[in-house]
Amino acid sequence: MADVQSDPQQVDQVKYEPLYSIDGQSIKHAFYAALVWLRNHQQVINSLNVFPVPDGDTGTNMFLTMQSAYSEIADSEETSAGKIAHQISQGALMGARGNSGVILSQLLRGFARLLDDHSEMDADLLVQAMGESRNTAYKGVVRPVEGTILTVAKDMAKAAEDSRNDSNEIIYLLEKTLKAGEESLKNTPNLLPILKQAGVVDSGGKGLVIILEGMYRYATHQPVEIGEVAVERSPISLDSMQLSQLHDEIEPGQDFEIVVDFKPEGELNLENFYGDLEKIGTSIQVGEGDNMYRMHIHVPTEKKYDPIELVGKYGAVQKVYIENLLEQMKEQENEEDFSNPVEQGQIAVVSVSPGNGISRIFKSLGVSCIVSGGQTMNPSTNDIFQAYKDLPTDKVIILPNNKNIIMAAEASKKLSDKQVEIIPTRNIPQGLSACLRLNPQGDFSEIVAEMNDSLDEVEAGEITTATRSIELNGVNVKEGEVIALLNGDLVSSSKSIVKACSELLKKAKTEEREHVTIFYGSDTTREQVEEITKLINKNYPDHEVEVHEGGQPHYQFILSIE
Amino acid sequence: MSEMKKSLGKISISYNAISTIAYQSALESYGVVGLATENIARGISNLFSKTPTSGVIVQYDGDIINIDLYIVVEYGTRIASVTKSVANNVKFNVEKMVGIPVNEVNVHVRGLRVSDTD
Repeated sequence: MADVQSDPQQVDQVKYEPLYSIDGQSIKHAFYAALVWLRNHQQVINSLNVFPVPDGDTGTNMFLTMQSAYSEIADSEETSAGKIAHQISQGALMGARGNSGVILSQLLRGFARLLDDHSEMDADLLVQAMGESRNTAYKGVVRPVEGTILTVAKDMAKAAEDSRNDSNEIIYLLEKTLKAGEESLKNTPNLLPILKQAGVVDSGGKGLVIILEGMYRYATHQPVEIGEVAVERSPISLDSMQLSQLHDEIEPGQDFEIVVDFKPEGELNLENFYGDLEKIGTSIQVGEGDNMYRMHIHVPTEKKYDPIELVGKYGAVQKVYIENLLEQMKEQENEEDFSNPVEQGQIAVVSVSPGNGISRIFKSLGVSCIVSGGQTMNPSTNDIFQAYKDLPTDKVIILPNNKNIIMAAEASKKLSDKQVEIIPTRNIPQGLSACLRLNPQGDFSEIVAEMNDSLDEVEAGEITTATRSIELNGVNVKEGEVIALLNGDLVSSSKSIVKACSELLKKAKTEEREHVTIFYGSDTTREQVEEITKLINKNYPDHEVEVHEGGQPHYQFILSIE
Repeated sequence: MSEMKKSLGKISISYNAISTIAYQSALESYGVVGLATENIARGISNLFSKTPTSGVIVQYDGDIINIDLYIVVEYGTRIASVTKSVANNVKFNVEKMVGIPVNEVNVHVRGLRVSDTD
């Protein structure tokens, strides 16, 4: 942010005649000074806009609103403070542009309403009018966002109210109000995270402070006609730079994050430096500290080396960090967290799961952690042990969910000094059924017993493709055919998934059950899912059917029949 | 239902979800003091809607979204600026959160709320 505020010490030294009351013409002149001061700072305020929010040029919008307000009184000889304020309010309403302009017009409207038809404004009226400005502005929105011009107006009004007892001198009150406004403005990034990320203060709040500052300068006979104040940028401190934050989303053209530490040759020309950076990327931050600078930028893939070359022109490059944000995002998507917190003394369940969809369902049932694995990717004893060894509880239940993993789970028991029980679940439906009995606060042995009992309450069907020809349980299987397994036993082999499923459901005596849950695999197509759902609806119209993404490899479908 | 093709499959976003986003961002817009049910004939008690979707109509036709907002504006604010801001705000937030371009935001001012007269 540009440091354009007056040096506070200088302000204290300003000599002025005390002022106890002002009339309409004085308000008009002060308002004009504010208008000029705002015009000079227009670009500075515009530069504070946080890309890419709507309501682009706050400085310009506020200036045009002020200008429209002033045009109502420019030729006015009116001496009544109240009448001038009403004209200003009217002009601001007609010319309000953008969000900040509308809020400014509301502030002026509240101010005018309180002055009513008083011909002079004294300290009491000033303080009350600022309070009314704030109230009117807040009425205009259902959910006020703090850290904006509204907050600054509120803090200013409060300072004026608080200072009223100290003095009834108007310039003193203005000074207090202005200081409070500057403080409040500095605090806006703490209230509104988007400001902090961009390393700026709120633009509308800045505009309001500038307006008041212009009036204060008029009252203390300081010049306002200083010409346009150039946008000047100063580096932020290294600590406040927000690097490598977790990105919820990446805008197009922000594929790479580049951070370069460098020592400039001589004085760093910040204006040129920012200008050059803006040509190649977004999310620009420059930090300063410890006799070095740090530059942060997001650039599209094809420009990923440009910032380094650019910085090289300004000084000696010391360190470079490059991160591929797109890849990072992909990784984050893949590394979904399936764990639930568990507390000391509670029962923790560790479940083996073959796919993300099933892991998600386990998570929703309260499983503490997931070990990924299944038919062709059995987790080792150590994999299972690692999953629960650091849990803060000593009561652990393991659901292997596959007959080939039960052994490994049993073996992990010997590595741990925790109380570990293995429920011999041989498939996912059994694992889910056992999970439904979980009560983390319950009695350990009772829960284990209930889980063991639950295993018979569900029929588990699996549909997969035969990897070799074999004859088993009197079923003739040819390689490549679709086979159906019921509770782990081969029950049919056929050319199509629908046939295999149909056989499976018959063998499972589905007609005696009520509920079928389908978990489709990672390679299963939507059409296949629809075919199977249709089949079940047709053959068992009274059954409830639920379809979930299982995400398991190899098995097109896992069916749970209850 | 809005749908997007993604490499991992399809993502669908209900009208209701989009309406809720639009509703919330409208209420955060300066000058908007409420949303009104689209049919004012339903009565004055319905003027200020309470469910987070009434006062918002979302239409979706393939790859763009059109939104109609029925709002109540604070008396004394410049309606032209308020409506422009709310349209910008809603478009920005819906596009940001949903990732589908918003083609039109039509803002219908259903009434003014008078807190103070001048």
